[in-house]
Amino acid sequence: MLAEPPRNGEYLVAAYVVATLILVGYWVRLWQKARTVFSGQAPRGT
Amino acid sequence: MPDAIRFALAIAAKDIRAELRSKTALLSALVFAALVLVVFNFARDPTVLAASDLAPSVLWVTFALAAIVALNRAFNIERENAALDGLLLAPVSREALFLGKLLANLAFVGTVELVTLPLFTLFFNVTLGRALPGILGVTALATIGFVAVGTIFSAMAVRTRFAELMLPVLLLPFMVPPLIGAVQVTSRLLAARPLSEMWGWLRLLALYDIVFVTLCVLTFSAVVDE
Amino acid sequence: MGPTRRTMRRGLALSLLGLLGLAGVYVLALGFTPIEARQGLAQKIFYLHVPAAWNALLAFSLVGLASILYLWLHDPRLDRFAAASANAGVAFSAVMLTTGPIWAKPIWGTWWTWDARLTLTLFLFFLFVGYLALRAAVHDPSERARFSAVVGILGMLLVPFIHLSVYLFRTLHPQPIVLKPSAPSLPPEMLRTLLISFTVFTVLYLGFVMTRYGLMLAEELQEEARDAG
Repeated sequence: MLAEPPRNGEYLVAAYVVATLILVGYWVRLWQKARTVFSGQAPRGT
Repeated sequence: MPDAIRFALAIAAKDIRAELRSKTALLSALVFAALVLVVFNFARDPTVLAASDLAPSVLWVTFALAAIVALNRAFNIERENAALDGLLLAPVSREALFLGKLLANLAFVGTVELVTLPLFTLFFNVTLGRALPGILGVTALATIGFVAVGTIFSAMAVRTRFAELMLPVLLLPFMVPPLIGAVQVTSRLLAARPLSEMWGWLRLLALYDIVFVTLCVLTFSAVVDE
Repeated sequence: MGPTRRTMRRGLALSLLGLLGLAGVYVLALGFTPIEARQGLAQKIFYLHVPAAWNALLAFSLVGLASILYLWLHDPRLDRFAAASANAGVAFSAVMLTTGPIWAKPIWGTWWTWDARLTLTLFLFFLFVGYLALRAAVHDPSERARFSAVVGILGMLLVPFIHLSVYLFRTLHPQPIVLKPSAPSLPPEMLRTLLISFTVFTVLYLGFVMTRYGLMLAEELQEEARDAG
């Protein structure tokens, strides 16, 4: 069967973008909290 | 009768007596249950969905929500009277204390369920008939499970600021397996299906009860002791 | 404070490494892995979704394990680790819960299905959130640790029951036959990409947990300094 694979690239993009946002966003939040610790203030609500 | 059981019964009796005097937990849960049933009736389009299809789910959602109301009120009364602190000073096993609380909560929630059931048959035009003993049985089986977890969680929640919110947030995921099982068995009972179709679910319910009652008994002291 | 800062720095570095690895996985999955014939491009979501699922489950199991050990040994490090793991677990559950439906829609035609994996992740997410909400609502550290441990243990034991419920539900209510997205016989390039992704996600988990752990320790130390001063 030589049928074309379905055209669903937009879902691929959406998923990869969302996953990236979550994981990178999480890292950024960790980094921001670490910065407040290094500057001597307590991070709130870890 | 071993001391632990006697003590548990004494605790349960004290709580039940206290509740019978004030009746706040019972009444609020009962009114709530009745209201939920009414809302469910008006939220459904009778031409599309027959009452009998929806009935088991409606019954169990009502039971679940009313149980949470009852559990919340029961522990709030406890907290207002600071009675638990006094109990903890006594040389009692924490396991017995938990069992006593569990029995009292089962009595509360069980009463709410027993009163809600006839209301339910009335509002939804369901005849229980020969299914009644089965329904009572599965109700007991499922209720034991989620009230056990509810008892230990309400002991924790009552020490937090947003107790009324904390209890459902913690408890609802744990109510799902007993609820699924109860709804499945109830719907088969109402449809007069053979026991073989319910056996898997009944075993799930029983296993859940055994595992979680045991766990809660074992971990209760971690909640109430320093 | 020194060792705490070191832990945080290492954690941040490790997770940054993980993110770089993630970029590598993207390149690998998109550029160097064949397209699955029946599912098309959207199948590549698989390389993110499955490792994220594994991480969420791992994070959760470790919370449960640490909880049991805490109730036995009363070591506050175990409690801190459990909290850090739960925190990281939320992130991975979020990835799972978002990529799952985005993958399901083109493949199965519906955004949500109550299949075992999606349902379990939803529950893990709720359990994580409940666990963290409880921690936020209890101020006394010893009480917080004990309560969290109880929830962690109960939650860990809930998971098999959810699984069993879904299984029973599906065997009694046969669902229409759908494509099995994670076919057991994967071509070697797909398997390779998947395994590399697993490694990257594990690195991410470790980095996140380490950083969180350091942050929690730092907060505790600063609280103590404030109370004493």
